[in-house]
Amino acid sequence: MRMIFPKWLNLFPTLSALAGVGALLTVITGTWYYATPDFWEVGYMPEQPGSGFNHQLHAGKLGMDCRYCHTNVEKSAHSNVPAVATCMGCHTDGMLGQQWDPGVEKVGFVRTAYANDDSIPWRKIHHLPGYVGAFPHHMHVRAGVSCYSCHGQITAMPVVYQDQGLGMGWCLDCHRNVEENIVPPDKVTDLVWVEQHLKDRKQGAAVPSAAQQIIDRIQESIHEGGPQNCGACHH
Amino acid sequence: MTDQCPSTRGKKNPASDDSLATAGVVGGTGRKLWKSIEEYADTGEFREFLEREFPAGASELLGSNRRTFLQMMAGTAAIAGMATLPGCRRPNHKIYTYSREVPEEIIPGKPLYYATSMPMPGGYAEGLLVETHEGRPTHVEGNPLHPVNRGKSSAWSVSSIMELYDPDRLKYPMFRAASGDSVATWSDFRAWSAEHLKKYDAKGGDGLAFIVDKKTSPTRNVVRDAVFERFPGARWVAVDLTEAGSTRGSDRAATRLAFGAAKRTLYHFERADVIVAFQDDAIGGGGSNLANERGVASGRELSAADDRMSRIYTVEAVNTPMGGLSDHRLRLSPAMTEAALFELARIVLERTGGGEELARALATSAAGVAGGDESLDGAWLQAAADDLLSAATRGVVTVGKTLSPEARAVGHAINRAIGAVGTTVSYLDMSPRDPFGEEARAGWDDLAELIAEMRGGSITTAVVIDSNPVFAAPAALGFREAFGLVTNRIVMSVGPSETASMGTWQLNGSHFLESWGDAEAIDGTIAPMQPMIAPLYDGALSEIELLALFAEDREPSAYEEQPSGYELVRSAWRDLTGASGGDFEKVWKRSLHDGVVAGTGLVSGGGTGDDGGVTAAGLFANVRRAVSEYTLRSAPAGGALDVVVANDLMYDGRFSNIPWLQELPNFGTMVVWDNPALVSPNTAKRLGLEPDPYTVKEPKGRLARLTVDGRSVKLAVWILPGMADNTVCVFNGYGRETVGVIGAGVGFDISPVRSASGDAVLAGGRLEPIGGKYPIISTQNHWTMQSRTSIVRSVDAPAYRKHRDHKRAKKDVYGSKEYVNLAEELGELAHTPPTLSIYKHPYTDSIEGKPAEGSEYSRRPQWGMTIDLATCTGCGVCTVACQSENNIPSVGKTEVRKGREMTWIRVDRYFTGDDLNDPDEVYFQPVACVHCENAPCETVCPVNATVHGPEGINYMVYNRCIGTRYCANNCPYKVRRFNFFDYGVKKLNGGLRDEFPEGTPTPDNINLIPPRLREKLSEIEKFKMNPHVTVRSRGVMEKCTYCVQRINAARYETKLQDLENIPDGFFQAACQQACPSNSIVFGDLLDESSRVHETYNGARSYALLGYLATRPRTTYLVNVKNPNPAIRTPIEDPFHHHHGEEHGDDHGDDHGDDHGDGHGAGHGEDHGDVQGGGGEHAFGSDGSRGGFMPRRVREGGRTTVSLPVMNLSSMPSFEGGVTA
Repeated sequence: MRMIFPKWLNLFPTLSALAGVGALLTVITGTWYYATPDFWEVGYMPEQPGSGFNHQLHAGKLGMDCRYCHTNVEKSAHSNVPAVATCMGCHTDGMLGQQWDPGVEKVGFVRTAYANDDSIPWRKIHHLPGYVGAFPHHMHVRAGVSCYSCHGQITAMPVVYQDQGLGMGWCLDCHRNVEENIVPPDKVTDLVWVEQHLKDRKQGAAVPSAAQQIIDRIQESIHEGGPQNCGACHH
Repeated sequence: MTDQCPSTRGKKNPASDDSLATAGVVGGTGRKLWKSIEEYADTGEFREFLEREFPAGASELLGSNRRTFLQMMAGTAAIAGMATLPGCRRPNHKIYTYSREVPEEIIPGKPLYYATSMPMPGGYAEGLLVETHEGRPTHVEGNPLHPVNRGKSSAWSVSSIMELYDPDRLKYPMFRAASGDSVATWSDFRAWSAEHLKKYDAKGGDGLAFIVDKKTSPTRNVVRDAVFERFPGARWVAVDLTEAGSTRGSDRAATRLAFGAAKRTLYHFERADVIVAFQDDAIGGGGSNLANERGVASGRELSAADDRMSRIYTVEAVNTPMGGLSDHRLRLSPAMTEAALFELARIVLERTGGGEELARALATSAAGVAGGDESLDGAWLQAAADDLLSAATRGVVTVGKTLSPEARAVGHAINRAIGAVGTTVSYLDMSPRDPFGEEARAGWDDLAELIAEMRGGSITTAVVIDSNPVFAAPAALGFREAFGLVTNRIVMSVGPSETASMGTWQLNGSHFLESWGDAEAIDGTIAPMQPMIAPLYDGALSEIELLALFAEDREPSAYEEQPSGYELVRSAWRDLTGASGGDFEKVWKRSLHDGVVAGTGLVSGGGTGDDGGVTAAGLFANVRRAVSEYTLRSAPAGGALDVVVANDLMYDGRFSNIPWLQELPNFGTMVVWDNPALVSPNTAKRLGLEPDPYTVKEPKGRLARLTVDGRSVKLAVWILPGMADNTVCVFNGYGRETVGVIGAGVGFDISPVRSASGDAVLAGGRLEPIGGKYPIISTQNHWTMQSRTSIVRSVDAPAYRKHRDHKRAKKDVYGSKEYVNLAEELGELAHTPPTLSIYKHPYTDSIEGKPAEGSEYSRRPQWGMTIDLATCTGCGVCTVACQSENNIPSVGKTEVRKGREMTWIRVDRYFTGDDLNDPDEVYFQPVACVHCENAPCETVCPVNATVHGPEGINYMVYNRCIGTRYCANNCPYKVRRFNFFDYGVKKLNGGLRDEFPEGTPTPDNINLIPPRLREKLSEIEKFKMNPHVTVRSRGVMEKCTYCVQRINAARYETKLQDLENIPDGFFQAACQQACPSNSIVFGDLLDESSRVHETYNGARSYALLGYLATRPRTTYLVNVKNPNPAIRTPIEDPFHHHHGEEHGDDHGDDHGDDHGDGHGAGHGEDHGDVQGGGGEHAFGSDGSRGGFMPRRVREGGRTTVSLPVMNLSSMPSFEGGVTA
């Protein structure tokens, strides 16, 4: 028998147990890390049609308000992507003057679409699954949740990418800790200010009173936070 | 339905020796309550069926074997492999923005509502509000400003959205020639028709014929006149093909007899105290049914402020919604129904002035009538007549269209005699604004003449628009053959039809939701029809546009000059309103906004002057003349049957490609996807046509041949308790061949048996078994709560008035209410001891149901609903509206057969009484998820997929659901629906063809393809989906959510408007919005000003199965009947203390404690003397089923009442209250 099972084989059960534990840990950590929207979704940056839309330039350098284009964000659950006509408000040939006109190679696709009465097939980045009945933009903006909290520092994105995972745990983190993210409603679209302010707030800066009022109201509410019941979002 | 009561277990019911009704009926406390013959008889199969969570077979993969299983597994593995490939991160979603034109009013994500109107079959209209999402109509509601709808809708209008997005619609014109069929374009047709019609200019239109649907549209009338101007000799036939012919039955003929001119009859039931209905069709069918239904229901509504209640008598051969609501019902064959009407008229006219001669004529006419197996209940009729006379102006008689015009004329005479005209009835000229008088014309005569001309060859071009006479006209009329003789057949139709497929030109018409137009309601109100969306299939013209094309000789190249529908309506309205210029623009915009043209209603609501323009004496003389020329028929005898040809939701077949309507259980029978011939159980037995007892896999009706005057048709036979004996009822609109995949081959085409004049009642029918069986699927045994008790409750009006303030101090089972009201005393909740939890409820913050201060349930809003059983007519519109709002799929006949229907709200139908053939009453009860505060489903879900919210809603989270179905198993109300397949995303294939007997055509049976192998929904079908509701996929449980998407939308809106709470009436649940009788009330229970607060806490509110401590948020309001003491003594004290004699006063208020033994010991022996039959026992055991309704025993044709028996020992206030 000794010839069949060498002595070192006695280590086999121990080693295999260790390997088993190791494999299990690998699977768990692997799932933990990889099988989340934070891994799969964050950073999604599809190529946009034409030369895309440079948020860094428009919303950042030129300082256009988000609501100049996303006009219905305060009125509707759905925040609209602007019509081609909105682009053409400035980018009609000759409107901006030669100095500022980005030229055919940059905005040609917009002008062509407008001329043909076509829409521009923008690639969708922030996509919620079908079983989420609603993400009411208007309610969030009204409550002082900045665009920054979900979409990141858009004013610094030449090409927009997904900044947050948009998983349900992430939603609930915020709904349970409203005091960390609510800013005064008039500052909601001032993303640079918001980014700095939220950093400062972590360091102990005072919460502005307009935000504090909202936070107090929400915390007194039935949910002691934002709504956390299933039917608030899933229907 | 195991009888758990020790004292009665195993005893047989002595009340009936019917072979169908032997075992298992012991223990009915009140009357026996049953839904079907199987439940009545309590067969073993049936018991097995209902003890299962889903029917056997429901959870089996049909047709699966090892091979298909392996195939499926392979497919699954492949998909799983793909999902793990890198680079497939997500599908490439695109956002298509608006381009140049941005519709100002559209805010993406927010629906817009536009007013329009729907032309109803047979004429008249409903006014609608259509919900559109980014230009895409998704849901149809009633227009609150329209006099017919008042915010409510019918099953037809709700499901019109399905018709719009029907993928089987005609999509392009077709030209058929001897050389073959070819796809054409509209320009081809324009060129052809411009050239072709020139030939008729010289002949003045001779040889040209138009066949159109009966419609009341002012613009169409204008365009028609323009066609006549060009072709004065053209034939114009506007006909409702299900209407009885010119000689028999139609309202036109009846009013012509009575008034000398055709009149519209308008009922104002809301003012009626006494309604006597003879084979009524005023509710549940016809152009003004919503208004009528609302009126009848408002007379039955009881509130704290108003306990006036109308009394309804019905005499009928076939069950109707009015018969279901009625307090007294006589079951008579159509012939005898007329005899009963004549008798009632005679009694009334003899007692009122001026009608004596008519009364004599009626007696003469009725003299020779032989009753056969039936007899007129003279005392019943006398009592009804007395009641009618004492109600005088507030009485009303209605006579249905299936009865003869003479009978209907007699009805008009009664209404005049009692003085009801002007109060509960008014009349309006037909075609009030149309000199041509299209509406008043008997289209049937025109059609018969036209067919003769077609046969003679003098018609060379026939234009058929939105009408399908090839299928829907009686075969005896010979339309198909005659139409084939016409050289040029131009047929425009929205969907495929038998007539369109015969057309040399088959044109795709536009749907009414895509067209400009208008429609006149029965009261004269004109409503605009405006398009919600551009025609889905390019170039489609509407009816008025096509007619306008014919009206002018125009070069095809100049077709752009042709007026569009928009221009046609505007120009017609300029004349109609008399306004011009800026004024007209104002009128136009206002009308489009409101959905009605202000001031066009011709009836102010039954004032004077609506008397039909004839004096009482003149009317009586007219009716006398008609009656003296008319002989009443004798009752069917000697094996002959009276055949009633009726319409159901398919009407003449135009709705048969709409799965929502096919799958909506038919009134009375609960049969889906079929139109079996209906007979009473006794007649079925006599003819040897009883359906097989219900078995799980093979529900079968017998096949038979129905023969009338040598015309015959093969069909299946089904029983309907409560129908008159020796009567058979068949329905139009089924058995279509060319209609699309949904309706093709569903049911039996009965047109071969109809008479050439389209009579609604055919005498001398024969029904013979031909051997063979046919699967009839009835949902009556599905989702049953049978074996539970006190499901439906009913009291008599005097009892309600006496005890409505009753409040007995006693905590209910869950400690949430401090007292027991009238309704709860009728059930076992009043006797169930409180069962307190040892845990605090998270939302009440208390061990009781009563929420603690500051707990979730103490904060607004808390949603709740009540459903009034006294006003529910069982029409089923709630079911269809819910399907439309919540993206609920239809599943098809094969799936319904397995109990897999998906409708969230079902309408249960119960018969009561001991006679299967002649049930005492019928009750309807809509049941959806009742949102238990203590929900049994939640505790068994292993993945928390169904959980409660702080507002009292039981949520269903689809993405969490793993499909264990434990929740459905544990739900006592059986309201949970499981997606066995991808019903929501796969194509549906209608009926079931495989089991047709030999000799009938059996095309490829697409319906047997299991849903998993079916095609996916086409893009066009997805358009109808509500974007705010998840489309559920396979393996997911679903159920009523109280329209949580509407709640959330309302919440957003109230926040935007800075309102603190959602005000009552700010939004409605879909079923509540649609319910024509206002039976469903929904709202915030904590809002003290809300309607639901009043009804939920009222005397009539009871919790269904409340003794299970589920604390449902939906409660039911006890049905109230208002019997005439001359016919049946109303029961004033339904809480008979039957233990009183034996137990004396040993029952204290704490009855709950001694309930267990007191109950068991008390009955069994002492019920016998009360009921006279023995075997009855008190409620509380599982045997009673029926709740507490007074028991009525028929003795020799008279109805007597014995007392309900209940174990209510804890009610000292009612002790000894026995009156017999």
